[in-house]
This record gives sequence, structure tokens and C-alpha cells, in this order.
Amino acid sequence: MASALARPLITVYSEKNEKTGTSLHLPVVFKAPIRPDVVSFVHHQMSKNRRQPYAVNKDAGHQTSAESWGTGRAVARIPRVRGGGTHRSGQGAFGNMCRGGRMFAPTKTWRRWHRRINVNQRRFALVSSIAASGVPALVMSKGHMVHDIPELPLVVSDKVQSFNKTKQAVIFLRRIKAWTDVQKVYRSRRLRAGKGKMRNRRRVQRRGPLIIYGEDQGLKLAFRNIPGVDVCSVKKLSLLKLAPGGHVGRFIIWTESAFRALDAIYGTWSSPSSEKKDYNLPTPKMTNTDLSRLLKAEEIRKVLRTPHKRPVRAVRKQNPLRNVRAMLKLNPYAAVLKRKAILTIQKKHLDKQEFLAKKTGVPLQKTKQQVRYEQLIQKRKEAIQKSKAAKPKTAKKAKKAPAAK
Amino acid sequence: MQNNDDIVWSIINKSFCSFKVNTKTQKFCRHEYNLTGLCGRYSCPLANSQYATIREEKGIIYLYMRTAERTAFPNKSWEKVKLSRNFEKALQQINENLLYWPNYLKQKCKQRMLKITQYLIRMRKLTLRRQKKLVPLQRKIERRENRREEKALIAARIDTAIEKQLVERLKKGVYGDIYNFPQVAFTKALASEEVQEESDDEREEEYNEGGREEEMEEETRAALEDATEYVEAESDDEDMESDEEHEFTDEGPEESEVEDIEDMARPSTSKGKKSKVSVEYELEEALPEKTKVKNRV
Repeated sequence: MASALARPLITVYSEKNEKTGTSLHLPVVFKAPIRPDVVSFVHHQMSKNRRQPYAVNKDAGHQTSAESWGTGRAVARIPRVRGGGTHRSGQGAFGNMCRGGRMFAPTKTWRRWHRRINVNQRRFALVSSIAASGVPALVMSKGHMVHDIPELPLVVSDKVQSFNKTKQAVIFLRRIKAWTDVQKVYRSRRLRAGKGKMRNRRRVQRRGPLIIYGEDQGLKLAFRNIPGVDVCSVKKLSLLKLAPGGHVGRFIIWTESAFRALDAIYGTWSSPSSEKKDYNLPTPKMTNTDLSRLLKAEEIRKVLRTPHKRPVRAVRKQNPLRNVRAMLKLNPYAAVLKRKAILTIQKKHLDKQEFLAKKTGVPLQKTKQQVRYEQLIQKRKEAIQKSKAAKPKTAKKAKKAPAAK
Repeated sequence: MQNNDDIVWSIINKSFCSFKVNTKTQKFCRHEYNLTGLCGRYSCPLANSQYATIREEKGIIYLYMRTAERTAFPNKSWEKVKLSRNFEKALQQINENLLYWPNYLKQKCKQRMLKITQYLIRMRKLTLRRQKKLVPLQRKIERRENRREEKALIAARIDTAIEKQLVERLKKGVYGDIYNFPQVAFTKALASEEVQEESDDEREEEYNEGGREEEMEEETRAALEDATEYVEAESDDEDMESDEEHEFTDEGPEESEVEDIEDMARPSTSKGKKSKVSVEYELEEALPEKTKVKNRV
């Protein structure tokens, strides 16, 4: 299994969608860790930087000399406008609840509009979004129609940079099969929902492909009139273009020179960036992220101890009041009690028989239990006496359990 | 770059996926190559580089396969295998092609193929039955069109058009002598026609005729009510046949003169029974007599 850091070859395509002979190594940027959380955060902060301040007039609501009438006049204590002769006199002023009063917490121009983001974070986000643009799944999930393009990341020959007619640009996009993405932009053109309509943000549309060039020889002019298509120089990549909406995975079309320049701009892990001072690509937390594969890998399994697998079987509970063995497990003395109970019953029964026999004068049969019982007792007595006799002889040698009575 | 599946899934699942459709109970996947139609770790075509689906195009079922090596080339990533029309053979083909593939994919492919064959059979059966097509009506459009119809009907002013047509025909003489018009009405109309023709030469004829005709109509209507009363019986006329209508007997000579003139003026229209209607002036005089006659009748 090839290492995750292996660098595949990317073929460069001509502007007519034919493979040119050149193939480039994938720049290491594309191996950078993809961190949608970092991208989202940085994008969020960055998007605040283009804002223009808004505020209400600082005098608004205060251009009256209103004074409260105080208590005792059967009116609310809100400051009221002085004087007379007009509707305005006696009306409430100054409060946010009053008509013509100042608003609650009037907005100020010195609100903190812009945010600073750490340089490294900015670069991290950028690098992440470039890496994500190389994953076809992420580009597709973002919604770009890239199912017909020849390769991802898509690198095109430098001839594209010298396009100066939109017609050429359109033909090129058609050939490369990126036109479906542009068509999607066309279909998505609609009016904005909400008040933005009357605030100069009337129309909305989707984002299409982004074209990153090394040198502008007219390319900007050619592509600028195509809706959805953005154009960007490698030297000035912006997160707002690479991850619009804070989501990774924009469809990017690289020109050859731009692609080549990436290694120098962002560095590889082994060599730092030559364009950026003191910068190297972020190291990922995991080099191999395929968790399912890792868990099955021999190298890892060898090092782990054997799992403790004791199957817990469900034991059916036996009721000790009905099940003798269950009772005996809990209370072994119960056997003794039970036996005793049985014997007393038996004895009583036999005594009764004897008594009856005596009373009626009918002698008990030999087979009768009472007779046998007496015989048994007799035998036992004899056995005990025997053992008692034998006991003093063998007491020193070994234990001998006396005959049970 | 290799084996991004887990990363991809963690991104797609947690944040945004353009194919995901969320319902209260389930997550669906709108991706065309999705095997189950649900959004899940092992059924997502984006999060599994090794993937297989069954799809149907125009009644033919294909097995699509994709391996990890080909994910970078979206153009060529899907390998298409046509499956046999025999279900069992198709199952064997799936087994063959997806040998050593994860069981989940094999199982789901077979299930999907079964479903597809079933619905194809159903489709074929349906086409043999009645081919009624349900066409939904759009309420808004229907309402709009109805209202427009009504308005068009009103705007066409069919009544007036019919009127015009009929009167024109009448004038032309299409109806011959069918209709009886009360004398008064007709003469009036004629008179007004002549007057108008003399006075308004510049105006279009149609306009005039329309006016006249309207007048005529009104008069005929008004006169018709009085018509029966004012019909005379004239012993001088040879043509008079119906004695029942005669109510006046005394008006003979004066009226006959007037009637002659009127006969000349009138082209052809006259009552079937050729009873002549008296001129207004005379009528007024005749009023008291009329009443007498009425009483008699």
C-alpha cells in the first residue's frame, strides 16, 4: 500500500482538452490536512473585513429640549417637548419607546468592523482549501458539475493565459467540460429573498469555476464576463475565492505555470516556502487517515493485547423457594432442615400407625413401615455400638466417622 | 490524497453536501449513482472510493463500478457493464464482477437490480392498459382564461352584431314578405333615414343606418303593441280578407289616400293581410271611435 505522501503525476491538458506530453508532480499543498473548521472560522473573520460602517445620526432623537413634567400631572414621566402651538408640544421625546425619540443603543461608526486573523491561521485555511479542491468528492459535494472533466486537479496549458476574447474562453470551457458548471450558474440566477433587494444586492447566483493563472496575458479580460467564473493569480490567492461560503471544495482550473509555482509558494514539508518568509506547510495530525484500514492492519494488531472476550450469558433465575438446588446454593443448611422435617413427618406417621395398631389390637404387618423402621433403628443401634467398640482402637490412627444415626 | 474517504465523510456528514436532503426522520441522497438513495457512511458514492451501483437506462440495466484509482479522473471513473435480461444470469454477472468486493455493496446491488426489474415489468404491464394521461390543471391559469373569455364575449358585442346583420338582410330583401311591420314604425324609420342621409353626408353610412335601425326597432316595438288596435277594415280594398281585424269603418276615404302614398313609399314590407295602419295624426282623432269599437267587441 503506497504511502499517503506519494505524489501522483498530473497530466497537463491543452486548451482543446487533449493530453499534452507534460505531466507534473502533484504539489505537496494538496496533501495538507483538510480542516473545515479552520477554514470556516477564518472565512467568517475574513468576510467581515470588507464591511463599510453604518450608523445612525448621533443627534437623532436628541434635537429637542424636552423635559419631564414630573409627577402630579397624571401623565407618564417621560420627558416631553416644551412649548405649545403645535402637535409636537407635550409629546414624549428622547426615549427609545417614544415616537421621534432616539433608538436604543444608537449604532456607532466605531464598532469593531474588521477582524485580524493570525497569519499562520490564514495560511492554514488557504492551504486546506487548496488541498480540498484536489479531492473530487469534496468538489462534487459542494455542488460543482465536474463529472465530465478529464482529471482533478485540472491543469491546463499556459495558452489559456493569452486568451483575450470571451469567445475563446467559452470555447475552452466547453471543450474542458467545465461549461456545465457555468450553465448551473445561469440556471441559478434569481432575485435575492429579503430586503437585500433594495439595498443593491438584488440578484444572486451560484459560484462557478475558479481559474488560477500564473501570468495574466489577457485571461482576466476573457473570462470576466462569464457569469460565475472567477479569476485569480497564484501569488494572490484568497480564501474568499477558494472556499466561498466557508465551505471547502471549489472547482479550480489551474494553468501550468500556476501549478508549478505552488511548490515554491507553499513549500513542501522537507523544504520551506521560498516566497513566504519562514513558512512551511502544516503537518497533519495523522499521516494515514484511513481509520478502518488501520484498525485491521497487522502492524497495529500485533502490538495490542488480546481482547478480553468473556461472553456474558444470560442466566435464568431459579426461584429458591421452588427449586431445591437454587435454595441449597444460597443456604446449604436448608438441606438439613428439610431432611429433619421429612423425618419428623415420617416418624409421626409411623407412630400413629403403631398407636392405632395397639389400640385396635391388630398387629402390624411385617412389611409395614413401622416394623421396618424399628428394625432399621435396631440395626443402627447395633452399628453404633459396634463402631464405639472399634473406636478406641483406631482413634489414634485415623478418623473414623461414627455411623450416622 | 489516498484514502480520503473518512475525511470526506466527516466533512460531508457534518457540514455541507449538495446532494443531501434532510427530512424529519431520514437523510436522503440525491446523487444519481447512490445505491440505496439514503445518505449514509457506506452508501455515499462520494465517501466511498470503491463503489458499485445498478442503474437503468431505457429499460436496460447496467452495473456501474468505480475503484479508488479512478476517482481522480471523473470522466472515466465509472465502468459500465450491461447486465443480462435474464435475472439469474444477471445475478451471476454481479457476483462475478463484484468478486472480493465488500458484501454490503454486493447485497445492495442485487436488491436494487431486483427492484428495477420489478418496476420495469410493471411499466410494461401498464403500457398495455389504458393510456390515460393525467394532466394537472393550474388553477390560476384556468381562472385567468375564464375571466378573459367572459370579457372577450362582452367585448365582441354579439347582440349588436347580430342585430346589424339581421337588419341588413332585411333591407336587402332576403326575407321577402315574411315579416309584418307596423306602419308607423316603418315610415318613421324611413323618414329618419332620409333625413339623416341628407344631413350627414360626411358620416359613414353604417353609422347612420345603425341609428336609423335602432329608431326603427324602437318604433316597431312600440307600435307593435298598438298595432292590433289600429288595423282598419276597408271595404274599398279588394285585398282585405280578414274581417276580424277590422275595427274602424269610418275612416275610409281619407285614409285610403294616405295609404296609397304610403303604398308607393313602402317597398315590399306590409302585413300579410294587407291591413293598413293609419297615420298618427289620424289616429289621435280616431281615439274615441276606437273605444266605441272596442266596447262593441
